[in-house]
Amino acid sequence: MAAVEVHKFAQCITCHAWSRDRSMLAFCPNNNEVHIYALLQGKWEKLHVLQKHDQIVSGIDWSARSNKIVTASHDRNSYVWNLEGSEWVPTLVILRLNRAALCVRWSPRENKFAVGSGAKTVCICYYEQENNWWVSKLIRKRHDSSVTSVAWHPNNILLATASTDGKCRIFSTFIKVVDAKESRTGPSADSKFGEQILQLDLSFTWSFGVRWSPSGNTLAYVGHNSMIYFVDDVGPSPLAQNVAFRDLPLRDVLFLSERLVIGVGFDCNPMVFVADERGIWSFIKFLGERKTTTSGPKYGSQFSEAFGKLYGQPKQGFNNDTNEHSRSRGGVHENCINCIVPLGDPGSSKVKRFSTSGLDGKIVVWDMENQEDLAEYL
Amino acid sequence: MCTTIIISNTLRLYLTCIRNTLDAAMCLQNFPCQEVERHNKPEVELKTSSELLLNPVLICRNEAEKCLIETSINSLRISLKVKQADELENILTKKFLRFLSMRAEAFQVLRRKPVQGYDISFLVTNYHCEEMQKHKLIDFIVQFMEASIFPNPIKLHDIDKEISELKMSVNTRGRLVATEFLKQFM
Repeated sequence: MAAVEVHKFAQCITCHAWSRDRSMLAFCPNNNEVHIYALLQGKWEKLHVLQKHDQIVSGIDWSARSNKIVTASHDRNSYVWNLEGSEWVPTLVILRLNRAALCVRWSPRENKFAVGSGAKTVCICYYEQENNWWVSKLIRKRHDSSVTSVAWHPNNILLATASTDGKCRIFSTFIKVVDAKESRTGPSADSKFGEQILQLDLSFTWSFGVRWSPSGNTLAYVGHNSMIYFVDDVGPSPLAQNVAFRDLPLRDVLFLSERLVIGVGFDCNPMVFVADERGIWSFIKFLGERKTTTSGPKYGSQFSEAFGKLYGQPKQGFNNDTNEHSRSRGGVHENCINCIVPLGDPGSSKVKRFSTSGLDGKIVVWDMENQEDLAEYL
Repeated sequence: MCTTIIISNTLRLYLTCIRNTLDAAMCLQNFPCQEVERHNKPEVELKTSSELLLNPVLICRNEAEKCLIETSINSLRISLKVKQADELENILTKKFLRFLSMRAEAFQVLRRKPVQGYDISFLVTNYHCEEMQKHKLIDFIVQFMEASIFPNPIKLHDIDKEISELKMSVNTRGRLVATEFLKQFM
């Protein structure tokens, strides 16, 4: 089985993040707090509770190098938490938002972070040394609805956003003060802050969960119509692929390699998408084992129904009528999975582990090590 | 906005259709209001942003029995029209469903007032999906419908029995009163 660790920390978890060495874990138990757990003598114990927000925390990201936690909440605020001694010290970020913040993500160099909001804007925040605070610059008037997800390109400049207006957009976030000139390469070579590089209009309904591949060559995002979209050659002439699947829609995706994507969502079970040699993406399997519904009674009821028909016993038919229940979904997770985080080994560039959290309050760590059929894609 | 209309005749197909539609529609998430600051309300009720609503689905068994499923990003509304064969059934259903609606908080997902043109409505929000298991929630709604709405002598559901017993007792009482009343003219 691919799930190696299952922890039940709370009733319901909205989002989670890991420290760099995976010894600490931060998550929001579906309220205004952020709980930090640490692995002490083989047991997970609650170390800190971060209480500063006054509404549900919608996004957490833990920077690997600078060891800072950024949180975003429906109360329109965002805090950057820094560990000083044994205390987490918050710094308020003035986002200048008038609606809820929905997602937050550190940039690859950790000198900026992006916040998507219900105010149909994206905030790009950076640290200003002289004033000792985080300044927010807004990308306005581009989105027609809430921004549900943001993703940074590895070049630290391009930002992809997914929105409930169904579109996926790519912006330049070049900020003179923090971004050195030499970092500008590729399609973003001479773009100003907030300039829209590309608008992808593939989905007819809400889009969520946007991510870049490790190299930044491919972009993936999901639509609520049970579709996943892959976009290559982001620039003036992008190549898009739509993959439809028969199960419930996804909420978030993660690239484990250039050719393997994990999607999580309402089906409560991670889905594996791979690209073949020609670069054609397809769904291949569910990662978790499904709880198989007992097939015995089903056959039994079919038989009894047939017998009932034969002998004119409507009672049997009635039994079959009402005994039909909705199938419970998933295996390890019992409710919608809404967050997936890579657990890369600091020593190697390959990501073989990842963790998922969902509305059932579980955090599950998955390992791809012994999945022989997927090894060639990793 | 177009409405998808599905017509299915037999009870079983009708309920399976509703069940499958609910399974697909009940993909809800926490979503704060885009229009009002610091609010988080069911979008299907407010209807402030059209892009947050999905096309409603109308499932009909016949003209008298139908089920309307309206979905938004954080909430789902299910409205039912119940078959009423005669005047008495009409009154009984109305009274009985009113009795249930008055106690809506006990049922959690029951709406206090039905949507116009329907007899009873449910409102499911993302909070219900967080607290309860989705398949149980769907089972509850479908069983509730089955039990209260399709009187069938073979089925021995409590609510069902209630309606047919009510009907019988009203009839018996009516007969008794009429007999007593007519006695004086004998």
